[in-house]
Amino acid sequence: MSKKLFTYNHDRSLFPEKGQDGKPNIDLSSHKFMKIWHGPQHPGITGNMSLELTLQGDEVMDCETHVGYLHRGFEKLMERRKYIQCFPIVCRVAVPEPDFNEYCFASAMEELAGIQIPENAVWLRNLVLEMSRLQSYLMWIGGQAGSLGQGIIGQWSLYCRDLVLDRFEELTGGRIYHMYIIPGGVRGNLPDGFLKRMEETLQIIESFMKDIKKVMFNNAVFKKRTVEMGVIEKDWIYKYGITGPNARATGIAKDVRKDYPYLKYPDLDFEPVTSEYSDIYNRADVRRRDLLLSIDLIRQILAKIPLKGDIRAKTPNVLHWKVPSGETYSRAECTRGEYGYYLVSDGSEYPRRVNVRGPSYTHAVALLEDMIINENIADVAGLMVSLHTYPPEIER
Amino acid sequence: MKEILEKVKRVFPLQNIKKQRENLYFVETEKIHLVSLITNLRDINGFKHLVLLTAVDRIENGVFQLTYLLNNDELKIDLGVRVFLDRENAEMESIHHLWKQAATYQRELREMFGINFSGSPRVDKAFILEGWDGMPPYRRDFDTLKYSEETYFPRPGRSTNDPAEYMKQKMYPDE
Amino acid sequence: MGKINDILSPFTAWKHVVNKPVTIKDPVSRIAADRYRGFHKNNLEKCIGCGTCESICQNAAIDMVPVEGIETKHGDSGLRPRIDYGRCCWCALCVDICTTNSLSMSNEYIWIDEDPEVFRFVPGAEKKSWDTRQAGWQKPSDNYELYDPQRVKMGELSPEIRHDSFVEIVQGFSKEQAIAEADRCVECGICTATCPAHMGIPEYIKAIRNDNLDQGLKILYETNPLPEICGRICTHKCETVCSVGHHGEPLSIRWLKRYIADQNPADKYKEILNQGNIDDKGKKIAIIGAGPSGLSAAYYLSLMGYSCTIFEKLPQAGGMMRYGIPEYRLPYDQLDKDINYILSLGVDIKYNATVGKDITLEQLHNDYDAVYTGTGLHSGRSTRIHGTEHKNVYQAVDLLRDVSLGKEIPVAEKIVVIGGGNVAMDITRTIARLQKQKYGKVQVIATSLESEEEMPADREEIVEAREEMAIIEPGWGPVEIIIENDKITGLKVNKCLSVFDEERRFNPKFDKENQKIFPADMVIESIGQGADLSYITESFKENLEMDQRGRIIVDKHFQTSLKWFFAGGDIIQGPDVITSIANGHKAAIGIDKFINRNS
Repeated sequence: MSKKLFTYNHDRSLFPEKGQDGKPNIDLSSHKFMKIWHGPQHPGITGNMSLELTLQGDEVMDCETHVGYLHRGFEKLMERRKYIQCFPIVCRVAVPEPDFNEYCFASAMEELAGIQIPENAVWLRNLVLEMSRLQSYLMWIGGQAGSLGQGIIGQWSLYCRDLVLDRFEELTGGRIYHMYIIPGGVRGNLPDGFLKRMEETLQIIESFMKDIKKVMFNNAVFKKRTVEMGVIEKDWIYKYGITGPNARATGIAKDVRKDYPYLKYPDLDFEPVTSEYSDIYNRADVRRRDLLLSIDLIRQILAKIPLKGDIRAKTPNVLHWKVPSGETYSRAECTRGEYGYYLVSDGSEYPRRVNVRGPSYTHAVALLEDMIINENIADVAGLMVSLHTYPPEIER
Repeated sequence: MKEILEKVKRVFPLQNIKKQRENLYFVETEKIHLVSLITNLRDINGFKHLVLLTAVDRIENGVFQLTYLLNNDELKIDLGVRVFLDRENAEMESIHHLWKQAATYQRELREMFGINFSGSPRVDKAFILEGWDGMPPYRRDFDTLKYSEETYFPRPGRSTNDPAEYMKQKMYPDE
Repeated sequence: MGKINDILSPFTAWKHVVNKPVTIKDPVSRIAADRYRGFHKNNLEKCIGCGTCESICQNAAIDMVPVEGIETKHGDSGLRPRIDYGRCCWCALCVDICTTNSLSMSNEYIWIDEDPEVFRFVPGAEKKSWDTRQAGWQKPSDNYELYDPQRVKMGELSPEIRHDSFVEIVQGFSKEQAIAEADRCVECGICTATCPAHMGIPEYIKAIRNDNLDQGLKILYETNPLPEICGRICTHKCETVCSVGHHGEPLSIRWLKRYIADQNPADKYKEILNQGNIDDKGKKIAIIGAGPSGLSAAYYLSLMGYSCTIFEKLPQAGGMMRYGIPEYRLPYDQLDKDINYILSLGVDIKYNATVGKDITLEQLHNDYDAVYTGTGLHSGRSTRIHGTEHKNVYQAVDLLRDVSLGKEIPVAEKIVVIGGGNVAMDITRTIARLQKQKYGKVQVIATSLESEEEMPADREEIVEAREEMAIIEPGWGPVEIIIENDKITGLKVNKCLSVFDEERRFNPKFDKENQKIFPADMVIESIGQGADLSYITESFKENLEMDQRGRIIVDKHFQTSLKWFFAGGDIIQGPDVITSIANGHKAAIGIDKFINRNS
């Protein structure tokens, strides 16, 4: 009964026929269609990208992702910078989650140069990566709720994120761009009293996460708009190159932390968070539980981390550090999936080629463009955020 | 990994098999065998995940290197397949039918390196550089410094001195 | 049930209505964390303007600019970094690489102004409110280095092996060691101004790093034709100003130079330096003395196409380098390598030819287009205290020369050396070796007027002398040599309180109450050397301008008031081998100008 009240069913016979490429034959001059730009300034978009939507009524017929608003050419710029000079650049590839860039670049370089970093630095790197995951999820959760009209969640979660940024500030000296994981190690030990303040922060976040669960997840409106929406089928995982929570929500436990253990993950006790069915709701729930896992991992790390010790291995003089020629790929699990750096060195002081594999690259273009067809325009923002895309890593 | 490569080697010519680390190998093959090799790796040998596809401009040899990085999820191994194309009129067969996201990679390579992947969806449509008509900017011979000097203007009032040169002027200008 | 719960549950958000807001009331005065990377601070006194911050800045945000009140001097370029905050990305690599640790960042991050120009300033020179703040980014202290502050250890013979032999002590760098040491260079170039010859030090270090030793040798010979020698015994003033030395140990510039010369075989020199054919200008230059300045002048003059003839009093070339410096510091074969290359360019050398005795200056003046003299300081000065006229009192330079000539020198069982310079250390260590050979034990005391810190000898010389069981007793002024029954029994000394007065003039003060006697059978004086200019006869002296202390006055081209007569080396500036080489080079340019003007 209630279902009929709120649901409007299109008369499918009025829809355009699909062409050979699977896209509908759209004749704009027929005045049956409308083109609108979703973004780049839309509040439901994380960062600067836009979707060129073709609508019939309020239903999406066709979609094309446009990026390029944030292209800085970093991969090219790095080719004429010394390795150490790339270090302040890489973090800027993915603005809300810079540390994975720093880690992947540093570890790729260390692998080629054959450098072992001190034990203490490994722990600190691990801590920073988990803190980064935590703050990135907190930012995402505000975006996900906000895109579906729940402004309060964003206010809570950004407050929590600011607390994590405070911890970043005292550990790394920066709030957003930490520039902490330097090739060869890290740039500082834990400050005095860090453990205590971190624990306080985690407790505040946990208490807010309980509220968020009640207000956002146990919420009839949210469920109504997200359950059975934007489903990712299991067999799309390889077809579209889907990684991270988007893939895990389908039930496949794909997690770089577990599959290709790096840093101290082998010493930490955790299981990848999965779900049965990848719709918006379950993806959001996977991320929420992954966030809680992150809190748990931070606690585990802080219990084991040495409080003092060497933070950087002995390296050649960074002003003329020549990395032996070769190529490698270094990956890490970020909040959006598999993050990776493909680094090619020709034995000179400058990297020959750096290629960043950002998970949004596959999620926000090929996957989104196909998923969004036949969805209601009101759901576009929610759907897009549920893929958790960060445009800067698409265009770099 | 070794067994897979041995097996594949019987069917496809593979050169320069290089072990970068226990779970990452790089191999080279001919341009004409690339797509069938990759299809073989995907369908028979479990390399179901395309991690990335990118190019390296080996201008000194007059070639582009394409790297197809494939991942086998079950064995947890990666294989980078490298192939070399002539820099002049660089063209490569498309693999968008194997992986959907390959079309995006190929669109970017078309734009940034000028490598054509004919048949790839929307390959000629601008991806990142809308309105760009200069040389594909990720080519080695594209000079970013020159471009920025021509396109932007320096902030007035900036000048610097080389310490050694400055000391010479101040301390022993005649020598 | 679940559905009803889903409708009610969101209302729990209302419980936050009674909570205090979590926002910060006054965000402007919020203090950032202790490590925050805010606006820069710079300690202008500590900063030496090496520009390493500029080279590491990937944004090109830093300019090196002169700052009022800061002078360019040895070890300080006089420049200071000016930061353009329109470009700065706050990475603080400039702080981490800063060679002097003068640059740091405050934790101030709020600064609002309508004028964009103010956001470009020289930290430290333009006063800012955050200059005095302690908090902010500092270079991490926990073993965090962007370049290695410690030297690569040089292989040396241990004291037990070397103490009775004249085999070279310092073994030289291997390729790996040299590249590792060269890697530490930050290429600031501060050293170049301080090197008397202004050698291209960062450039040849770079050549080592790139393993391009041909290139390295070319750079060396541009300013110094005696690299094997300088690579061993140079006074390395460059190392005293090396920016890396401010926080750690300076680069071993001298050993790196030696490495280039050592690795290039002598027979390849001509090919590498590409000095096969030189056009003869048909002009003749006479050079008096085959010491460093004479050889240097001969080398550069030969390259310009002059035919040079060197007149050397002693049987072999090298001057003080051969007859003053012991073989364990500078082996004769290495000396010969450098000298032979210079001679191979067509330089004629007449040994055992004393100007003033075998040939007169007059003759040189008549037969040659110009004359260069670099006869050096070979006459030891005496303390003139009571007892110095005794036959067992010797001059260090005389003994060292005799050792090099292969003569046997007197070695008593107990010897005291008066002097604290490098020559004193040379004779002390030579004597220690000879005593060890002769008596099986060392009993030599070197006593200097200066305190340990003020001793003019190189630090490593003092340390190594001690390792070789010589006793160094700084801070004693000699009073008299005690002679009993015509035999020396000891040297009586006074405690020296200070050597220089407030105006840095030599004016020693003694504590006469505090005396002591060093037992000795023989005393060697080594308090400095003088020049023997007797070959300049009266007729020339009339027109030759000299200062009150009897030094010849020269212009910047080392030309004397007698236009055809050039003088350089230790008799003009010094004593110092690299200064002498530089003198010779400049004089060669001066002679070329002089001849071109005349012809």
